[in-house]
Amino acid sequence: MRAGISELAKKLRNREVSAVELTKAYIDAIEKLNPTLNAYVHLTFDTAMKAAQEADQMLKEGDAPLLCGIPMALKDNICTDGLTTTCCSKILKDFKPYYDATVWEKLKAQGAVLLGKTNMDEFAMGSTSETSCYGAPLNPRNTNYVTGGSSGGSAAVVCANLAAYSLGSDTGGSIRQPASFCGVVGLKPTYGAVSRYGLIAYGSSLDQIGPLTNSVKDAAIVFEAIKGGDKRDQTSADYEYDSSLAECLDRDIKGMRFGVAQEFFDGINPEIKSKIEEAIKLFERNGAVIENISLPALKLALPVYYIIACAEASSNLGRYDGIRYGYRTSSYTSIEDMIVKTRSEGFGDEVKRRIMLGTYVLSSGYYDAYYKKACLIREEINREFATVFEKCDVLIAPTAPNTAFPLNYKGASPVEMYLSDICTVPVNIAGVPAISVPCGEDAKGLPVGMQLIGRRFGEATVLQAAHFYEQSAGQVIGVYEGGVGI
Amino acid sequence: MAISKTEIEKLAKLAKLNFSDEELERFTAEFDEIIAFADTINQSIEGGTEQIRSVGARVVSFDDLRPDEVEPSLPNEKILSNVEGYNGFFSLERSKK
Repeated sequence: MRAGISELAKKLRNREVSAVELTKAYIDAIEKLNPTLNAYVHLTFDTAMKAAQEADQMLKEGDAPLLCGIPMALKDNICTDGLTTTCCSKILKDFKPYYDATVWEKLKAQGAVLLGKTNMDEFAMGSTSETSCYGAPLNPRNTNYVTGGSSGGSAAVVCANLAAYSLGSDTGGSIRQPASFCGVVGLKPTYGAVSRYGLIAYGSSLDQIGPLTNSVKDAAIVFEAIKGGDKRDQTSADYEYDSSLAECLDRDIKGMRFGVAQEFFDGINPEIKSKIEEAIKLFERNGAVIENISLPALKLALPVYYIIACAEASSNLGRYDGIRYGYRTSSYTSIEDMIVKTRSEGFGDEVKRRIMLGTYVLSSGYYDAYYKKACLIREEINREFATVFEKCDVLIAPTAPNTAFPLNYKGASPVEMYLSDICTVPVNIAGVPAISVPCGEDAKGLPVGMQLIGRRFGEATVLQAAHFYEQSAGQVIGVYEGGVGI
Repeated sequence: MAISKTEIEKLAKLAKLNFSDEELERFTAEFDEIIAFADTINQSIEGGTEQIRSVGARVVSFDDLRPDEVEPSLPNEKILSNVEGYNGFFSLERSKK
């Protein structure tokens, strides 16, 4: 069994290992495996070693926070002062942010050791991480398959034990789907639970930062460390959770009401469906109440999501003009020509597609038919979620309709790829929290993820149910051999 | 609804993007499929979208706002550290003689 954050923290406090030794062990493993996996795109070993020395000092002085001295990774769209952050896009080539994202500021204050920035789909737009300008990361469980996306690198480094935990961002499933494909835990918190200050924006009404970890307990620990309101992000809130979230985990699930909506299971791969059904039975055997519920507006969630996300993206990505930062084209005839050439050369195809769709749905004559209508249907989806959460505590669904795709899979059109986000996007539209936990493997040995969805700020219940499943179901997926042996 | 190459070119202009002829060909075909997908939003939901009651945004009164106080911000030289050749102004290649 791989050491979790609490065990590592204990070893650091018992002087079984120092933060410097632990960091060196991770660096050695990264040097060995990353050339193949391509999970990290920027390595920050010098600053990591310095942070590890400082962490050892904090630990020596006593009263160090739990995450002190523990090596971790950040997705390449989370700003780190002075450390390259590119969103895996040519247009942000060599960009060095001049401030820290709030999540990183919080973790740094706790003595966290940053090993590097992880690979992702360009501007977080994709479901395989293959749109990265650095090439795709490979799934550590089977390198012929993708990691999922967009936080593919963040899932891969946790899976391959090249970081104790990582942070990703989730606009339409970008934490949960790669967590599912790589067989790790991924938590998308409630919209507003974690500050997005310093997260490079994609779809601002949907984006949320969250942890990818080896266990539900670790997800609770990291979420606890990053949550909270921030005056620099007006969409964030200071919600008062019940005591410590990590302490809620061991509460009994007897009487907990689990909702099962048929709409989440339509068109799902039968192997995945049967794994989720087994999990439902496990909850039922242990005293949970299973309710069949219905969310009819879910069938419209995908187009609603793509219309809103792309509209917001087309506006958010308007700032990339080659003047203040990032890539600039080499020859041009006017400022307008410079901006158009910079953007056309700097953005990849998927980003261009989404900017174009966003521009289309916001343009005169189409705004009412698409954007306005999508916003209205979003309210209907919110209302349906609010209604089902009056009689359910948690909803159970698959995380994705399929397991990991083969690398360079050419059989799917852009729209067919969008359809693979069917189970995750409704959660972002409604702004509710959800976790993906491994719940088995398919016939090819690829991990299957189960999604547990809660009401707004219901992270404690979601984590409690997921922890119960993890403890009761036992070893449902194979253990990845490799990475750090501590 | 089929979208024409001319419409794609107009959209590209709005989005400050440019496509080569080959890209335009491929993009127009893909975009057709994407718009057809976006159009599925128009499958009526029961009772039509007219029945969806807009709850709108929460009304914030001026009393809810924080005081407008000047606080320290990042220094200019740090913010401009990513600008190539910044020298008190943004310099671009001369484009007019």
